Formats: sequence, C-alpha cells, structure tokens
Amino acid sequence: MEERVLEILEEHCEEAIDYDGDSMMEDGVIDSFTVINVVSDLEDEFDIEIDAKYVIAENFRNKEAIIDLVKRLLEE
Amino acid sequence: MQLLSYSFVILWVIAFALYYLVPKKMQWYVLLAASLLFYVAGLQGVPVALLLTALSTYACGIYLRKSLGAQKEALLECVDKEQKKLVKMSYAKKRKRMQILYFAFNLGLLVFYKYAVLTIPFLQEHLGIQPAFLANVVMPLGVSFYTLTAMGYVIDAGRENCEIETDFLKVLLTLSYFPAITQGPFNRFAHMKEQFEESHAFDYERMLRGIQRFVWGAFKKLVIADRMAIFVNQVFQSEVSGVAGSIYACAIVFYMLQLYADFSGYIDMAMGVSETFGIAMPENFKRPYFAKSVAEFWRRWHITLGLWFKDYIMFSFVMSGAGRRIGKACKKKWDTMGKHIVPIMGTMLVWIFTGMWHGRTVGYMLWGLYYGVIMSLSLVLEAKYPVWKEKLHMKEGKGYAFFCMARTWLIVFVADVLIRSEDLVQAAGIFRAFVTHLDLGALLSKTLTSYGLSKYEFALLFLSLLVWLAVSLLEEHGRDVRAYLAARPAVVRWFCYYGVVLLLLITGIYGGNYDTAVFLYQSF
Repeated sequence: MEERVLEILEEHCEEAIDYDGDSMMEDGVIDSFTVINVVSDLEDEFDIEIDAKYVIAENFRNKEAIIDLVKRLLEE
Repeated sequence: MQLLSYSFVILWVIAFALYYLVPKKMQWYVLLAASLLFYVAGLQGVPVALLLTALSTYACGIYLRKSLGAQKEALLECVDKEQKKLVKMSYAKKRKRMQILYFAFNLGLLVFYKYAVLTIPFLQEHLGIQPAFLANVVMPLGVSFYTLTAMGYVIDAGRENCEIETDFLKVLLTLSYFPAITQGPFNRFAHMKEQFEESHAFDYERMLRGIQRFVWGAFKKLVIADRMAIFVNQVFQSEVSGVAGSIYACAIVFYMLQLYADFSGYIDMAMGVSETFGIAMPENFKRPYFAKSVAEFWRRWHITLGLWFKDYIMFSFVMSGAGRRIGKACKKKWDTMGKHIVPIMGTMLVWIFTGMWHGRTVGYMLWGLYYGVIMSLSLVLEAKYPVWKEKLHMKEGKGYAFFCMARTWLIVFVADVLIRSEDLVQAAGIFRAFVTHLDLGALLSKTLTSYGLSKYEFALLFLSLLVWLAVSLLEEHGRDVRAYLAARPAVVRWFCYYGVVLLLLITGIYGGNYDTAVFLYQSF
C-alpha cells in the first residue's frame, strides 16, 4: 500500500517525495490543486472516501502523514 | 478607536500593565475587557451584531459537542459496520442542518450590514423611499473578519478538527481580540484558545520585540503608504484625458506598494501589540512582491484569508457530494482535462467570493473573476510550461526568476487598475492611455511633481522604499532582522531604533486633509 501511495504522490508532485520537513502545504511544495488530484487518485486506488475534514495541512504535512491517513481510512 | 491613535496607546499601556499584574489565570479577562472597550469605543454603541454572532457561535458549538457525544455513545451500541454507518449518517445530517441554519443567520447578518448601506442611496434615488430602519445602519467594526473567523470555527467543530469551546466569554474574546478585529489576521480558535489559557510571565525582550514591530508597521503606514496615497489620490481624481499613461502606470505601481505597506503595516502593528501579551498570531504576509507566479503571490499575500477560502470553500466544494459527482463524470468524459474541471470550479468559486469580500463594486467582481481565470488557466497550462521553456531556450537562473517576478507584477498591476479606478469608465480610460498617450517623458518632467509630491518627497519615498527593500531582502533570506539588530552593539542598535522613530516623527504624514488613522483594508 505504501508504495502505491508514494507512486501516486510522485505522479503529481515529485518534490513531495524528497521533502523531509513537516509542513509541505505551507512550504509551497504541494498546492491545493495537487492535493485535490492526489486525494482523487487515492480514493480511486484504495476505494476510500477522503472527506473534506481530512484534507487539512496536518494530514498532508509530508509523505508519511499521507500514508498514515490512508492507513487510518482503510482501517475505519 | 484606531491602532494609530493616542487613545489606543493608552488602552494598550493600561491593558499591558494589568495583564502582568493580575493572577496568571485571569490574564485573558484583561484581554477580553480591553477588546470590548476597544470595540465599543470604535462603534460608539452596543455591539449588537458582534454579540449575536458570538452567541450563535457558542450555541452552535455546544449543540455540535452534544451531538458528537451522543453519536459516540450510540456507536458503542452498534453491532456491525453498516449500523455504525447509519448512526453516523443520522447524527451528521442533524449537525449539518444546524450548521446550515447557523451559516444562514450569520451570512445574513454579514450581507445585511455589508450591503444594506449600499441600498439606501439606490432606494432614495430610484424609488423615492427613505427606509427609517436602514438610515441608522452602520457597518459594525470588523464584521467581515469576525464572521469568517466564527464560521471557520463552526466548520472545524463539525469536522472534529478542533476542541469545542464551552465558555461563552472565550468565544467572545477570540472573535473580538482587539489587535486583530479590524483587519485580521484571521485567527483559528484552536490556536488562540491554547494561548489564552496559558500563563504569560512578563518578558522584557518580548515586549521590546513587540514594540519594534509596532513601530516598523507605523513606519510603513505613515512614511510610505500615506505618502504614496497623496500622489495616487491626486492622479485618480484628475480628468482621465489629462493624465499621461506613464503617470497612470506610476500611480498604479505606487498603489500596489501603498496597499501592501498599508495592510502589512497594520498587520505588523497588530502582531506587535499581540506579541507584547505573549500571544502569537499567524503571519499574514511573506513578501508577496518577490513571488514568481500569481499563485505564489496569493500564498504570500493575506495568507490567513487565502487559507480560510482554501480550507472552507475550495475543499468543502471539491470534496462535497456534488463536487465528487461532477469530478467523476468529467474525468470519465474528458480524462486528463476532465480532472481539472472541479478544481477550476472551486477556484472560480473562491475568487468570486474573494472579490465580493473585498469590495461591493463591479470592479471588485471583475477583479475576482480576473484572478479566477488566471489561476484556472495556469492550472491547465502548468504541464506545458517545461515544453515552452525549452522551446524559448529559457534556463533556470536569476534572469528567469526576474522574468517570473516581472510577469507577476504585471498581472497584479492590471488587476489593481480595476480596483483603484473610481469606475469602469475610468479603468477603460487608463488602459487606453497606456496605448494612445503613454508619454514616458512625463516621468522625467515637472508633470510628475504636480500631483502632490515634491522632489524632496519623492527622494524621501525612494529612501524609505530602499530601507523597506533591504529589510525584506534580509527576511527573504531567512534573517530575523529584529534578532540581528538585538545582537549588534548598543550604539548601533539604538541608532537604528531612534533612526526609524525619528524618521517616523519627522517624515510621517500626519493631519491635514488626510486621515492617517484609516487603513485601506478596514473597508473590506
């Protein structure tokens, strides 16, 4: 699962893969359009629904946070 | 009461002294009292609208808290996933209904106060009606700011993204917090609650840093923004046919800088005041004119408003049931292009609201649409940029970065013609003057100094802009100018402090026909 999340992320934003900080959205690495496209692809790939309440800077602070989010939603 | 007034300084000093004298647990009461005093003095009456918003926000929060608690208990009794889903849906539906009621009420208040004033002359002129109940309507201080802050909180509370406040007075304080209420920045409840509840011991260095920031903000406002305003106002009050295109171009560039100096100056003052109380508010500007694209410009300009629109309008729409359905249908039909449709719709929605939020004229509506179209186009064309860059033999480097910055300036320049012009006729006349009557020589002749600013004033403005640019460049390279100054020898440090204060006192624009206390963003 992790590999696929990273592939999707890389497809939309290569910089996000190398980013090692913890505020990817605030640092301008990933913009809102990219977030929307990543969310859409993650939903299709894992058959989950990522509600607006999950689309916050905290859940998109780095690649690990995105993987954690998908894991949590898969467990729900 | 304005931030640039003696009465405000007195209020600040008294609140500051009391804040550090009362027991630490009571500190937030001092802030609340100061905020209400600031608000009531500014409004010269009972803050009915503010109290209504605070009360409804508090009540809605309590309802959401109870509903979420009841949902949690009901979920414990569920035996399978399907049942849990049904329970969640049932509670979510009730919460949504309450939130819709809340939004309708508060948006209704906002629209009433923002637009009711506009209808008075229309009703008088076209229908001969003079409604008595509208005659006394005055737009409440900071109504746009506290309404959006409150609505953001209710959305976050419903999404379980923040702790729900159970103390009405703390809700009132967050909404009315006096450094922020007139022009922002937009504070988030969770961020402020934590700080209001913390104990703050007196810290000399922090107080000094706060005062420094306040003075720096006043410098930007009084020395730069208000001086530029004299030139800008005179140019725009002149007959369109009599002004050269180059003079208009100069006035628009001045207006771009005036707006930035004015608004960021206010924010610096507000942040400085707040810093002396140990309350950190989110940064609202990150040197926007260094941005290399319009999208980056808006990530650096009025940051907290941009985040508000992104979090609560853009994402709410895109992730909504309707947004998802449209997105899926478009993706199926047009594949790559189709996936852009919903983000474009979200972007246009955000910019229509941004235009409406900023002003009540057609110029502002067009301004919003203009940015919406540019943002949407850049989204669609993003993938083509590398190809074009290669074809045009453009390489990354300082030259390219400068080109990108100039392009951003040009886009903002065009937008600002729309919002600074008195009406669309003047805006059209200005664009025409750029083409038919540019007259670059006017910039080097006496014409330039015939719009209220003498040669001396221009020189002073130029020097002040150089100081501002130097500080901005240091900040852009990650330097904390105040910390840098604090580390210098006392002689250098105090020379700089006194220098700015003297410059402020001697060269600031005070009195006369110009009201220094009024900030441009206050009317938004």
